[in-house]
Amino acid sequence: MKFSAFFIGVGGEGVLTSAALVAKAAQKEGHFVRGVQLHGLAQRGGSIPTEVRWGDVSSPGIMQGDADLVMAFEPLEAARAVHYASKEKTSFVIDDHEYMPVYANLLDVPYPPMPEIVRRVKPFAKRIMVFNTTKLAKKEFGTPVLGDTMMLGAAVGAKLLPLRPKSFREVIREDAPRMVSKNVKAFDEGVKLGKRKLTSGL
Amino acid sequence: MSVLAKPNSKVVLLGNEAIARGALEAGVGVVAAYPGTPSSEVPITFSHIAKKTGTYFEYSSNEKVAFETAAGAAWSGVRSLTAMKHFGLNVAADSVGPVAYLGVKAGMVVVVADDPNGWSSAQSEQDTRYYARMFKMPELEPSNPQEALDFTKQAFKLSEEFHIPVFLRTTTKVSHSIGTVKVGRIKKPIRKGKFVKDLAHYYNIRPHLQEMHREIDAKLAGIARKYGGKFTKEGKGTGKVGIITSGVSYEYVRESLKTLGLKPPVLKLGMTHPMPRKEIEEFIKGKRAVLVVEELEPIIENYVTQAAKGTNPKLAIHGKDLLPSYGEYTMALVLPAIGKLFKKKTPDFKAHSRKEAKAIAGLPPRKPVFCPGCPHRSTFYAVKQVFGKDTIWAGDIGCYVLGIFEPFEMQDFIVSMGASLGISHGISRTSNQEVVAFVGDSTFFHAGMPGLANLKFNNGKSPFIVVLDNRITAMTGHQPHPGSGFTGMGTPVEEVSIEKIAKAMGANVLVANSFSQKDLVEKVKELKGKDGLRVLISRGECRLLARRQAREKGIEFPTFEIDQDKCKKCGICTNEFACPAIVEIRHKRGEEPKYWINPDNCWGCSVCSQVCPYGAIHVAVKK
Repeated sequence: MKFSAFFIGVGGEGVLTSAALVAKAAQKEGHFVRGVQLHGLAQRGGSIPTEVRWGDVSSPGIMQGDADLVMAFEPLEAARAVHYASKEKTSFVIDDHEYMPVYANLLDVPYPPMPEIVRRVKPFAKRIMVFNTTKLAKKEFGTPVLGDTMMLGAAVGAKLLPLRPKSFREVIREDAPRMVSKNVKAFDEGVKLGKRKLTSGL
Repeated sequence: MSVLAKPNSKVVLLGNEAIARGALEAGVGVVAAYPGTPSSEVPITFSHIAKKTGTYFEYSSNEKVAFETAAGAAWSGVRSLTAMKHFGLNVAADSVGPVAYLGVKAGMVVVVADDPNGWSSAQSEQDTRYYARMFKMPELEPSNPQEALDFTKQAFKLSEEFHIPVFLRTTTKVSHSIGTVKVGRIKKPIRKGKFVKDLAHYYNIRPHLQEMHREIDAKLAGIARKYGGKFTKEGKGTGKVGIITSGVSYEYVRESLKTLGLKPPVLKLGMTHPMPRKEIEEFIKGKRAVLVVEELEPIIENYVTQAAKGTNPKLAIHGKDLLPSYGEYTMALVLPAIGKLFKKKTPDFKAHSRKEAKAIAGLPPRKPVFCPGCPHRSTFYAVKQVFGKDTIWAGDIGCYVLGIFEPFEMQDFIVSMGASLGISHGISRTSNQEVVAFVGDSTFFHAGMPGLANLKFNNGKSPFIVVLDNRITAMTGHQPHPGSGFTGMGTPVEEVSIEKIAKAMGANVLVANSFSQKDLVEKVKELKGKDGLRVLISRGECRLLARRQAREKGIEFPTFEIDQDKCKKCGICTNEFACPAIVEIRHKRGEEPKYWINPDNCWGCSVCSQVCPYGAIHVAVKK
């Protein structure tokens, strides 16, 4: 067994924290974990790719086209993750919250609307699920940051991230930098969202 | 923290954290470093835990000083470690060679992180393995976080046994990879020692120098004999075609072989200097061909070529004919190379890449930008207003390298720490062009001061110097420097004053507030009109850090908003000031844009309200 999850979003969005939670949850379930966390230049508002793998794996990075799951915390970045994705095996979970890059203005390249992003990603996806977790988190908890935790929950609830909710609750309690109970709650809300999406078949 | 996990537990650690844990398990007493990514998390880890573990930790003013600090500790009998990025070793190099010759008393480990692909570095893809050869130092190369821990521990032992400092060389995908690690027991550090005078030993002048050279060669031969086999791993595979590899490349080889269902003989080198000659010779004996898989320069490949001359002259040696000597390796590079050698079909990665290119064509890029509220953005903006865009902009190393991108384009060249001052001096000496040199606060202490002294010394037309003082080493994760007012262990200390240093070096110095365009423009203009050495210090705290610290105290910065009635849609705030919090909303080319400040991203620096010519930006009214 091996599983490869690719996380992508914008610096400052909490991509690193989310990926770290997944790595720890996988470790909690006794898996052998590998992955890549880039730091440095990439932290300042650029796109942040992070990789977490577990099972019978050696390479820290995911092979081109070989991700089982892409967690895109920003729609435009979902399109950039196609390098790691393929029609045969990759599921995409996308937060629809746009983070406009300054280069859209500067270089006069308009930000593509969501349907266009889905169209571009489709040839590389077995399945695409779009959530509005950032917006929901802002509404329910008053902070967009918890949208990431909620999206992890959604991926678990939709059975696209094969780890147990209980493991996440434990690592959040042990490890979340702040707002522990809110994080757990956001995760559980996400699980419900994911389950609903799965049963509704959308 | 996982890095302090209980003995025998399994935890996920970053490669750099595993190095720190290994050092703790070896009872390291002194750790000194100047931050440099991809090595940064080694010192960051110690800055968090040193008080708890009883280790002495410091951020030194540069890598040379950090190396010397560690050497002094090792000479006094205290186990020490220093960590740096590959370019950091260029700075430390002047002392590394002599200390290698002189040797050490207690174990000393020098962690050097190379950065193929330049994830966290511009300038070059230099390969530290050449340094190990030049300085005659043993070098261990872990492949993953578990080995990062184990090898660090063993490096201390080796260093102490042979009285020689040891390189632990990583690359980005070792330092910044995560992995399950089984940890051992942390040893209580010994922090106190004594320097024993021994002139007969420390006398490194000829003719003793030649004697020392002979000694270090003998040490290396002894290390190859005793440890060559210990750090070399041979797989159980069979066949006449083998693979030799080291570092993270070993991980790609392993997974490629599993993917292709192959089991050839594999020789994995954990020590790449001195080379395990005996083990390599035995491995290549009777083989028809070998593939050497190593990132960057063909160091192992050249060695194997040389070794084969005596042992197996007919051996076909592959390496850089199938894999590049630039950039970073990935599964998509290693898998096809192995597939080719063993005639196995591999996925068509090139076709996938072509399909990808189509899928992402025409999307707006997301290059790294100055954070919202960054004091550098404000300074660059003001300096450009006064000097005009045709000025020569001498760049340097720090967050301000981001000034290379549009719309600023104010880093005409980036060379090395402090080089803005030396290079701009050379340009000013030979050209009549106006030159502005940018240098950061941490960089000023690291390598800027000699450049400034030289400008005064060789008195002439001087470049205009802007010190971007955000009070911290920001790019690598907010480490303190001599001007910050606290140490790497968080102890408050007297700040070293940049303005006093600049004044003592004979400069005209003005200090401006980075968050005030008016103050910046006035002072740049005033100083521009002066003769001699001119230093403008633009002072404003890193907003990312200031905001984080304020939030910890429950303080939220105000946010700003655009008055849509006053906005004339001139685009200055987005296209010239380029704050990522200010968004031009437009989903089609030619569509009438709407300008909006995303309150989630606004960190309240207020500078956009100062650059808006129509006074359309003001503090948001709390709803």
